[in-house]
Amino acid sequence: MSMSEIEIRTDNDVTRLAPGEILAGSVRWNLLEPPRSIDLRLMWYTQGKGDGDVGVVDSITFDNPAQYETRRFQFQLPNGPYSFSGKLIALIWALEAVVQPRDRFERLEIVVSPTRREIALLAPQPQ
Amino acid sequence: MTTARHNPFAMHRIHSIRYMPQTCTWPELLERLRTMEYRGAIVGPEGSGKTTLLEDLGRHLAEEGRTCRSIFITLDVKVPPREIRAAVNAADYDVLLIDGADHLHPLVFGIIKHKTARGRKGLVITSHRPNLLPTLIECHTSPDLFGQIVETLAPSGDCPENIAAVYHKHKGNIRDALRELYDLTALK
Repeated sequence: MSMSEIEIRTDNDVTRLAPGEILAGSVRWNLLEPPRSIDLRLMWYTQGKGDGDVGVVDSITFDNPAQYETRRFQFQLPNGPYSFSGKLIALIWALEAVVQPRDRFERLEIVVSPTRREIALLAPQPQ
Repeated sequence: MTTARHNPFAMHRIHSIRYMPQTCTWPELLERLRTMEYRGAIVGPEGSGKTTLLEDLGRHLAEEGRTCRSIFITLDVKVPPREIRAAVNAADYDVLLIDGADHLHPLVFGIIKHKTARGRKGLVITSHRPNLLPTLIECHTSPDLFGQIVETLAPSGDCPENIAAVYHKHKGNIRDALRELYDLTALK
C-alpha cells in the first residue's frame, strides 16, 4: 500500500456472494493527515444509457479514526437487488469507503446473486 | 453485444466529460462574470452543454472561495416552492445557480431575481431563451466539438461510423446524439 491509501479487503478475498450472506473484511488506511471520519458503505449503483440510480443499503462509521489503522467490518447482505448486466443497464454492488475531509473514496466491487455470478440480461431474439 | 458496463457512451462516462469552452477561456469567462457582478445567463438550445457549464462554473467559483447554492429544474423534475424559497432566503451563499430557470413561473423567477439582487447575491442561470438575465455566454455545438467528445469517450475508435450524420440528425443536440451512439454501440 503506497502513501495516502485506503484499501478494502473481504475475508478470503470473497467478492461473489449470495443474497442474505454475511460479508466481512477489513478496511486499512494510511493517510497523509488524520481523517475527520471514515465511513464504509454497502451500496449498489446502476450504469447505462440513462441517469444512474444508487442505493446505500447499510453503512458503518469508524469512530475516531487514526492516521494509519485497520478496522473490521461486517454486513448482512439484503435479499436483492441482484447484480446484473445488460445492454441498457447494469446493476453493480460495491463496498465504498469514504474519507473526510476531501471526499476521498475507494471502492471494491462485489457480486450479489443466487448463483454468485452477475446475471446476464440477454437481448430478445428476433422472431 | 456491448453491455452497459462497457459501452463508452454510458451516462456515467458522459458525465465525466466536462465543459469544453469554445469561444473563450475559463479565466475570460470568470472575468466576464465578475464584471457582471455574478449575475448572468448561460443561454443555448437543448444538449448544448449549459448544465455541464453551470456545474463547472460552480466548481470554479468555489475555488475562488465563493459559496454557491444550486437548484436544478427540468420539465420532469419540479422543485417544491418551499425548497426554492429556502435556497433563495438562505444567508450562507454568494451565488445562486439555477439550471432550467425558464421552467420557473415568470412571477417566481421575478421574485428570485429581486430577492437575490436586494441581498447583493450572485445569480447565474441556464435558459433556452435569452433575456431572463443579461447573457453571460451562449452555448453552441459543432460537428468538431461532437467529434472531440466522441474521441474522448471512445479513443480506440470503437464507435459507430458516420459520427457527423448522427450529429446532424439530432440538429446539434449532443446529449441526444450521444444517446444514439450508445444504442448503435450496444447493437454491435
